[in-house]
Amino acid sequence: MNVLDQLVNGLALGAGYALLAVGWTVLLGAARLVNFAHGQLYMLGAFVTWWATTSLGVPYLLAVPVALVAVGLLGVVMQLAMTRLVLEQNIVSLMLVTLAFGYLVQGGAALVFGGNPQQIPSPFSSANVALGSGRFTQQDVLIIVAALALYAVTFFVLSRTTIGRIVRGVAEDPKLAQLYGIDAARVYLGVFVFAALSAALAGAVIAPRSPILTSIGFDEVIITFLVVVLGGIGSILGNLVTGFGLGVFVALFGAFFPPAYSMAAAFAVLLVVLVVRPEGLRIR
Amino acid sequence: MTVSELPVHEERTPGRHRAGGPVLPAAVRIARWPVLIVLGYLVPVLLGGSDRIYATVVLIAIFAVMSYGIDVVLSYLGEVSLGHTLFWAGGAYATAVAAVKYGWGPLASLVAAVAVVTVLAVVLGLATIRTREFVFSLVTYAAAVIGLTVVSNNEFLGGTDGLVGVPLLALPAVGGQYVARTNAEMWPIAFVVLVLVVAVIARFRRSRLGVTALMTQMNPDLATTLGVDVRRTRVLVFVLSAPIAGVAGWLYAYQRSYVSPDLLSAHFLLFMLAAVILPGRRLLLGPLVGAAILTTQQELFSFGGDADKIVLGAVLAAILLLSPNGLVGIRHAIVRRSADRG
Repeated sequence: MNVLDQLVNGLALGAGYALLAVGWTVLLGAARLVNFAHGQLYMLGAFVTWWATTSLGVPYLLAVPVALVAVGLLGVVMQLAMTRLVLEQNIVSLMLVTLAFGYLVQGGAALVFGGNPQQIPSPFSSANVALGSGRFTQQDVLIIVAALALYAVTFFVLSRTTIGRIVRGVAEDPKLAQLYGIDAARVYLGVFVFAALSAALAGAVIAPRSPILTSIGFDEVIITFLVVVLGGIGSILGNLVTGFGLGVFVALFGAFFPPAYSMAAAFAVLLVVLVVRPEGLRIR
Repeated sequence: MTVSELPVHEERTPGRHRAGGPVLPAAVRIARWPVLIVLGYLVPVLLGGSDRIYATVVLIAIFAVMSYGIDVVLSYLGEVSLGHTLFWAGGAYATAVAAVKYGWGPLASLVAAVAVVTVLAVVLGLATIRTREFVFSLVTYAAAVIGLTVVSNNEFLGGTDGLVGVPLLALPAVGGQYVARTNAEMWPIAFVVLVLVVAVIARFRRSRLGVTALMTQMNPDLATTLGVDVRRTRVLVFVLSAPIAGVAGWLYAYQRSYVSPDLLSAHFLLFMLAAVILPGRRLLLGPLVGAAILTTQQELFSFGGDADKIVLGAVLAAILLLSPNGLVGIRHAIVRRSADRG
């Protein structure tokens, strides 16, 4: 097994990790909110994509927006139910409520989609792209493009536009922002739905790489946590770098040790980082 | 002024304020606990004593003890640990390994279970010592999921199948051994463990550590000013909570006679959180009541695995959204409203 192969594989993995984590970064960094159902929203994005392609017969590229709309609507419902907690900035209750929502969504998805592993049929999964001796599928390219594009847009919107200034203002001091006529509840809603949409997009483009189960959300969310904490809370650039770094780490680790332990190894790294440098990498 | 004399913000400690409640005569107050213990022990008999009833009450006792573990951290420290399934599963796995692989007896495996989870808690507690509230939750949650993947893939721990063939729980007794062959025979042991754990919690609530923990939750700055080492308190309470969940795992390994990675699943995490939050945090018997409600639903009124997930998730979400102080909060609101009217 050569190192270049693993690097290429690691880049695709890492782009997926970064894509999965971007919503959380914005949610936590820009709005000081959390969503422990993030993994389940990823799962739902993947399953709605699968359902739309197999049951409705919609082509893959059209199934992705269907999944986005479905998960986005769920995000709106969740956020509206939690409005009071959000305005109080009650993070502890928000954690628990979203954890409960996630479990509820998982149970519901298992009832609707069944307990069997499913494969999303994507035309890009079988098409190969060669890079030296390393091999990409077009799906991997799609993941990398989606991740880079979403990070670029997010970074630009948050740091250079009026919307970004409003979001940052509300995050800094919701009450003061409201004095300036900003509807904080609407800003929170927008940020939360953006995070939900990004999780659904991640599910729709990453999940075709491997079979999906309704229980995957529980595991997937760990990647988000690793990236968010290691990359520094709220640091968008830090998260992108950490995502890719984690992907390469997992790919290389998997080449030499049992791959099942790669996440455990990444977690061990996190524990060390927390002791040495609790604020994470935090690249500004 | 000692720590225990410090006033505590009343509005943030539901269930702690005595004002308004009936003042019981001294005799009733003293007799209350023995009577409650005897009645509690007789519950399965009073409910008919069928096999199903005994299975349910034994599970209630085990799950209540499990929930008391996280209760210590959630109610008194005010931190949300999402890693307590690690201690619950750690206790069960240590027991299964000791009993199945090395043929240890229940008491030796109990020591092993407590030792293993204490070490886990010390490592996790020290690693998260400098983290703030939600980062603490993220890291403990990650620890639990990582535990799940490690256990599922480890040959020694039985992989996804887990370890089967945990022997019957046989304790040394007068004139030989007491062997728990059925749930009815398991009940006295489970009940004693439950009573002991409740006694430990009651003691903790009155202890210096318990009061200090509450103070670091209510007002960390004040605690620091008074010379309390906030970080030390947090780690101590966290480490204290782990063996409680571990003991529950010990008992569960014998009750179920096998252990498997599902012990680390979201189910038990959500269960223990809901058992504490549903009745209302910081109530001595809260986790017991919560565990009783949830276990009864799942054992006697189940809608099937996936639907029960929806029920558990919905119950936890609904109580947090509608009455963050739990069922006690709802009762207080009703009492207040009727008092306003009268």
